[in-house]
Amino acid sequence: MRSEIPEQQEPGLPLTRLLDEQELIMHLEPDQLVAETVRPLPRAHLSPRVVAGLWALRVFVLIASAMVIYTFIEQVS
Amino acid sequence: MPPLTDEDTARSHDRSRVHHARKHGKRWFLLWLLIGPGILAMLGENDGPSMIAYASDGAQYGLGLFVILIPVLFGMAYVCQEMCMRLGAVTHRGYGELVLQRYGPAWGWFGAGDLCVTNLVTLIAEFVAIRVGLAYFHLGAGVAVALGLALVLATLSGGRYWRWERTVLALAIFNGLFLVAAFLAHPHLGGPGSLSLGSLPHGSTNTLLLLIASTVGATVTPWMIFFQQSASADKGMTPGDLRHGRYDTAIGAVLAAVFGLGALVAGAALVVHDGGGIQGFAGAGFPSALSHAAGSAAGTVFALGLVEAGAVAILTISASTAYAAGECVGVSHSFNTSVRGAAVFHAANVGVALIAAAVILIPGAPLLSIALNANVLATVLLPVSLVFMLMLANDRQLMGQWANRVSINAIGVLVVVFVSLCGTAYAVDSFLLSTHVIGG
Repeated sequence: MRSEIPEQQEPGLPLTRLLDEQELIMHLEPDQLVAETVRPLPRAHLSPRVVAGLWALRVFVLIASAMVIYTFIEQVS
Repeated sequence: MPPLTDEDTARSHDRSRVHHARKHGKRWFLLWLLIGPGILAMLGENDGPSMIAYASDGAQYGLGLFVILIPVLFGMAYVCQEMCMRLGAVTHRGYGELVLQRYGPAWGWFGAGDLCVTNLVTLIAEFVAIRVGLAYFHLGAGVAVALGLALVLATLSGGRYWRWERTVLALAIFNGLFLVAAFLAHPHLGGPGSLSLGSLPHGSTNTLLLLIASTVGATVTPWMIFFQQSASADKGMTPGDLRHGRYDTAIGAVLAAVFGLGALVAGAALVVHDGGGIQGFAGAGFPSALSHAAGSAAGTVFALGLVEAGAVAILTISASTAYAAGECVGVSHSFNTSVRGAAVFHAANVGVALIAAAVILIPGAPLLSIALNANVLATVLLPVSLVFMLMLANDRQLMGQWANRVSINAIGVLVVVFVSLCGTAYAVDSFLLSTHVIGG
C-alpha cells in the first residue's frame, strides 16, 4: 500500500505536500488510518445458544440493577 | 491514497517518535512514549469513591481481609485491562464500535447505555469526593464544580491525544498522596484488629457485602474497559507495542494497589475509634476524623488526595463516555481531532461532566448514598462488559495470532464469575432486607 502512494497522486497536489504526507503515512499501519477504521467490520456469527446466553445475562443484570436501584431509593427515603 | 485527516497527522507524529526510539535502542524513552492508557485506567479507578471505600474498609474492619483482597483485585484488573489494551492495539478500534459492529446495534447500545448510567453516577461521586476534600479547607460545592469543569475544558485544548494523556498522567501521579497519608497516619500496626491479616471482618452480612462489592467495583469497572481500549487505539498503539502496553498496564496495577493500600492503612488509623468519622463523609468527615486521630498533616494530605482522585477520575471517566458516544454514533472520536472536527466526542466529554456537576449543586441531593452505591452499581453492570470483552479477545477474525490463550480465558472466566457473584450477593441481600423478607 505504501509503495502505491506516488502513483496515486492527485493532479494539482504540490509535490512537497505529497512527500510530507507519504513520510507521515509511513509511521502508521495501513489499517490505522482513519479512512480504514471508519470502514465497518462484518457481523460475527453467534450460535443460538450464545445469543440465548447473552440475553440471559442481560436479563440477570437488569434484575440485579433494579434491586440495587430499589435499595438505593429505600435508603434515601 | 486515502485522504489524510488531522487525526492521522497527529497520530503519525507520535508514532514517528516511537519508531525513532525503537530504531536507536532508546529503551527507557520508548517506555516513556508508550506508557499512558494502562496507568491512567488503573489510577483513574483509584478514584474518590474507591479511596473512600478502601479507607472505610480500614476504618471499620482494620486491614484484615482487605490487605489481601486489594492486590488480588488489581491482579484481576490487570488480566482484564491487558485484554483491552491488546484489542485496541491490534484492531485500532474502541470497545464500543467493536461490540456494535461485530454483535449488532442492540448489544452495542446496551453496552453504551450501561456505561453512561454508571459513568454518570460515578462522576457525581467524583464531584462529591472533590467537595469532601475541599470542605476540609472550608471551600464549598461551587469551587468543586468549577475545579472539575475547568480541568475537563483545560485538557481539551490543543487537539492532541499526547497532550491530554500527559496532562492527566501528571495529575494522576498525585494519587501517591494516599501513600503519604498512610505514613503520616502512623497506623497502630499492633492495635486491636488493625493487622489481623487475612481474617474475615465482623459486622452485619449486608454491610460486609456492600464493602466487598464496593471494593470489587473499585478495581474493575465498565469505564476502564471502554477507556483503555479506545485510548490505546487513539494513542496509535500497534501489535509491535504489546510488550510495552503490558508494562504500562502492570505499572498502573502495581501503583494503584500500593496507593489503594495506602488509603486502607490511613483509614485503619481510625479503627481504634470504631470507624469514627465515616458517618460524616457528606461533610468533611473523613479527613477531619483522620486529622483528629492522626494529626492535621494526615488529614490535609488525605483531603488533597481526595481532590486529586476525583479530578483525575472526572477526566478519564468523561473521556470514556466521549469515546463510547463517538464510537456508537459512528463519528470522529479522538483527542487528536479538534473540537469542531469531533463535536459529538467533545460535547459528550464536557456534557456528562456538566450534568454530574449540576447534580451536586442540587440542595438536599442524596450525595452520600450516591457515592457509596456508585461502585456497587458498576459491579452489578460489569459482567456484560466483561463477557463481550472476552468474546472479542477470542475473536480470531479480529485478533488473529493475538487472540486469547486458554490460560487467559480460564482466568477471565473466573473473574467474570467472581464479579457477578459479588454484585449479585449484595443486590439480593439488600433487596431482601429492604423488602423485609429477611431481618437485618
